[in-house]
Amino acid sequence: MIISRISRFISDFDNLLALFAGACAVLAVLFVLFLPLPYSEDQLYPKEIDESSPLYPYDRGGSPFERADIHVQYPENSPFAGYVTAYLTPFSLALSRLTPHAGTTIVAHPGGILDEILYNTRGLDTVVETTILFIAFAIGSYLFRKGS
Amino acid sequence: MIEIGGQPLFLLPFGDIVIYFTPFTLTLFILALVFTILVIISKPERQIDIVFGGDAYLAKEISISEMKFRRFMAIACGLASMGAMVTGDIFDFALFTSAVGICNVGIVAAVKSRHVQNAAYQYGLVAMSATVPLFAGAAIVAATTGTLSILELALPGATKVPLVVKALLTLGVMGEGMAPFYAAKAEMFRAPGAPYVIMCSLSSLLIFLRVIEVVLTV
Repeated sequence: MIISRISRFISDFDNLLALFAGACAVLAVLFVLFLPLPYSEDQLYPKEIDESSPLYPYDRGGSPFERADIHVQYPENSPFAGYVTAYLTPFSLALSRLTPHAGTTIVAHPGGILDEILYNTRGLDTVVETTILFIAFAIGSYLFRKGS
Repeated sequence: MIEIGGQPLFLLPFGDIVIYFTPFTLTLFILALVFTILVIISKPERQIDIVFGGDAYLAKEISISEMKFRRFMAIACGLASMGAMVTGDIFDFALFTSAVGICNVGIVAAVKSRHVQNAAYQYGLVAMSATVPLFAGAAIVAATTGTLSILELALPGATKVPLVVKALLTLGVMGEGMAPFYAAKAEMFRAPGAPYVIMCSLSSLLIFLRVIEVVLTV
């Protein structure tokens, strides 16, 4: 009896969002009960924020065209890690010296957001992220053009 | 790692993201690959509605361009599920999973049936909100253990991922793939175009199987 009632509720897809929201709420409560979670000090991808830098919030340390030490999970897979850590073009380097807003400009366009993921050692992530964006654009443009 | 997926047969490194093929992930990968090839080479069905109680029937006409778009989305979905099957990185897995979710919406986005559109809309809302627990789970894995690599997390001495974080990841994949709540999916299957719409079901099944392996391994 109760099962048929539950299955009737689940079978209506208008209730789906409510069901998922309920599951999320239950998990959120559980999550709060599990707090505090331990923070591992030994972070593979550390991040420091320097608000005085003109490249803030894009600045991740290191100086352009010089080698920097970056943390790598598998050093043997990325033999040239560190050489491209400050991957500014000469133009954006000059821009960052002229104005205090170069960092916010980079962050304000989509490529900058994608680059928030570490660049050299996690290249596949960057590729998959842009793929998701492209798929979303493809669906959106197809639906838009279908209407005309 | 050894108990669940078996010993890795082959590692394919992309920097820190190491793709690994164990017997388990390889099986799922081949399944996704075979179905993607079937989608590429097969011709879509032509759906026929038979009027109950009479001898009339209605053949549904679907334009070629719509079918082409749906096939494109089904192939993209197949590629995304292949990536999700073999990736050895939690964040990368979350990315591939959300790609699967958006492709599933794309497959049925152009269907002209109002009923299917309503179901796809509900599903799209759930898939969109499911990215929050999914990526939150991946982020908290990085915060609590310091790494994202599944191979590192599977080592005996590695820091264990808290149970509630695993639950977050699973809930995210459940929302993306709609694995236990097939109601919306079943309505989406009413869309004509058989091999393409079945990709929705197969990909969600595959990512659900994979997240179970991930959660039991880390």
